[in-house]
Amino acid sequence: MLDWSYLGQLTPILIKYLPVTLGLTLVATVLSLALGLALALIKVFKLPIANQLATLYISFFRGTPLLVQLFLIYYGLPQIFPAMKAMTAYSAAILGLSLHFSAYMAESMRGAIKSVPSHQTEAALSIGMTLSQAMRRIILPQAGRAAVPALMNNFIDLLKSTSLAFTLGVTEIMAKAQQEASSSFNFFESFLAVALMYWLMVSALSWGQHHIEKRLNRGFA
Amino acid sequence: MLFSAHSAWRPLLKSVAAFSLALVVGCDSTSKPQADHDTSKASTVQKGEAIRVGMSGSYFPFTFSKADQLQGFEIDVWNELSKRLNRPVEFVTSNFSGLFGMLEAGKIDTISNQITKTDNRQQKYLFSDTYVYDGAQVVVHQDNQDIHGFKDLCNKTVSVNLGSNYEALLKEKDVSKCIDIKTYDTGFEHDVVIGRTDAFVMDRNSVLAVIKESNLPLKLAGDPIDYMENALPFRKDEESQALLKQVNLSLSEMRKDGTLKAISEKWFQTDISVKGQEPQVADQNAL
Repeated sequence: MLDWSYLGQLTPILIKYLPVTLGLTLVATVLSLALGLALALIKVFKLPIANQLATLYISFFRGTPLLVQLFLIYYGLPQIFPAMKAMTAYSAAILGLSLHFSAYMAESMRGAIKSVPSHQTEAALSIGMTLSQAMRRIILPQAGRAAVPALMNNFIDLLKSTSLAFTLGVTEIMAKAQQEASSSFNFFESFLAVALMYWLMVSALSWGQHHIEKRLNRGFA
Repeated sequence: MLFSAHSAWRPLLKSVAAFSLALVVGCDSTSKPQADHDTSKASTVQKGEAIRVGMSGSYFPFTFSKADQLQGFEIDVWNELSKRLNRPVEFVTSNFSGLFGMLEAGKIDTISNQITKTDNRQQKYLFSDTYVYDGAQVVVHQDNQDIHGFKDLCNKTVSVNLGSNYEALLKEKDVSKCIDIKTYDTGFEHDVVIGRTDAFVMDRNSVLAVIKESNLPLKLAGDPIDYMENALPFRKDEESQALLKQVNLSLSEMRKDGTLKAISEKWFQTDISVKGQEPQVADQNAL
C-alpha cells in the first residue's frame, strides 16, 4: 500500500529541485510572451516578408512536438554548428520552451487583438491618434484583458512541459522523482508526489488568474 | 477604466521581468563554465578543469540516487580516478538514451554507466580498458514457470532499456523475429514485477544486487545469453585521447593496488573487475 513515510522523505528532496522547475518556467514564460507579442503584431499588421516568416515559424513550432524540438536544439544543432556545443542543457531547455510556446502565445494574442472591434481603431484614428498611439492606448489594453484566459492556458502548459527538460539532462523535480524511484522502486509514491507538486503550482496560477481577471474586469458588466 | 486596466498590467509585468532577469543572471553565474571543445585547436588537458562524466543516475547499484545522494560503483570509481588524475569530476545525469547524444555533442567527456564495448560503438568511439566483466541476463517473475532462458522468449514480451546494447543484442539473436521487445527509459524491471512484461534483460551483476537489495519477486532465468565487457567511451578527438591515456593508466594502477577490487566488493560482494569471473554463457541460446 501507499508508503507514507517514503512520501515524507521524498517531498523535501523534490522541493530542493523546485527552483529549477520554477526558473525554467519563469524565464521561458517571459521570453515566449515577448516573442509571441512580436509575432502577433507582425501578423496583425501583415508586415510584408515578416508576416510570411512568422506564419512559417508558428506553423513549425506548433506543428512539431516539443520533445522533438528540444532534441533538435540540444543534440542536433551542435553537429551542424560546433559553436552550439557550449550551450548548457538549462539554456537549451529554456530556448526550446520559449520558441515552442511563443508560437502558441502569438496565436492567443493575435486572437485577442482581433477580438477588439475594428471601429475602435477607426474611432481612435479619427480623433487624431497615430496608429501606434491607438494600439498602445486603445487596442492593446482591451486585448490584454481578452488574452488572459488563453495566455493562462499557455503558461500552465509551459509549466508542466518543463518536465521534459530531464531528457536533456536538467535535473528538475520530475527528473529527481524518476531517479529516486529507480533505486527505491516506489514508483507510485514518487510520481504521486511530483503530480501533487505540479497540481499545487497550477492551482496557484489559476488562483492568480482569477484575481487578475477580476481586476481587469472592473468596470465591465 | 481602460487606463486602469493598462496600469494594472504594468507593475505585474515589471516585477515578473525583473524577477526572471535575476533568475537568468543567477543561473548563469551558478552554472559551470562550459569548456570549448573546438577540436581544431591543439588543446591540452589542463589540471583543475573538471572531467564531465555522464550517467543515468538510475542504474542500481552502478549509479543511482538515494536520499538525493548520487552514489554507486561508478561514482566510487570516478572519485578515485579524480584523486589520481588530480582533476575534479563533474557528474552529469540524464536519461540513458540521451547520454550518447550528449557525448557526441561535447556536453560530456565520457559515459560511466556500464557501457558495453560493441562493434558499432567501437567504430564511433574510443574505449578505455575494460573495468567490468559481466553477462547479459534474462530475468523473470519469481512465479514464472515457463521461461528458463533465451530459447523460451519467443512470443513473450521482454523489456529493455531504450538505447541499451540489450535491445540490439535481443534483435540480433532473435533471428525468427518472434520476441516482442519493449523499450523503457525507466522502470522496466518493475513492469515484470507487475506482470506487464514477461521478462527483462539486463546485466547480471546489477540484477543480483537489485534482487538482493529490493526484495522484488524476481529470479534469473537460466545462464547469461552473452558476455559483456564494460568500459568508458570517449570521442575520437585529441583532447579525449590524452584523457583516455591517463584514465587507462590510473585504472591499471587501481587494478594493481586492489582499489578496483575493493570498490567492486563493496557493491557486489564479488570482484566484477577481473576476467574469468564472468558467468558462463549458456549454449542453448543459439536458436
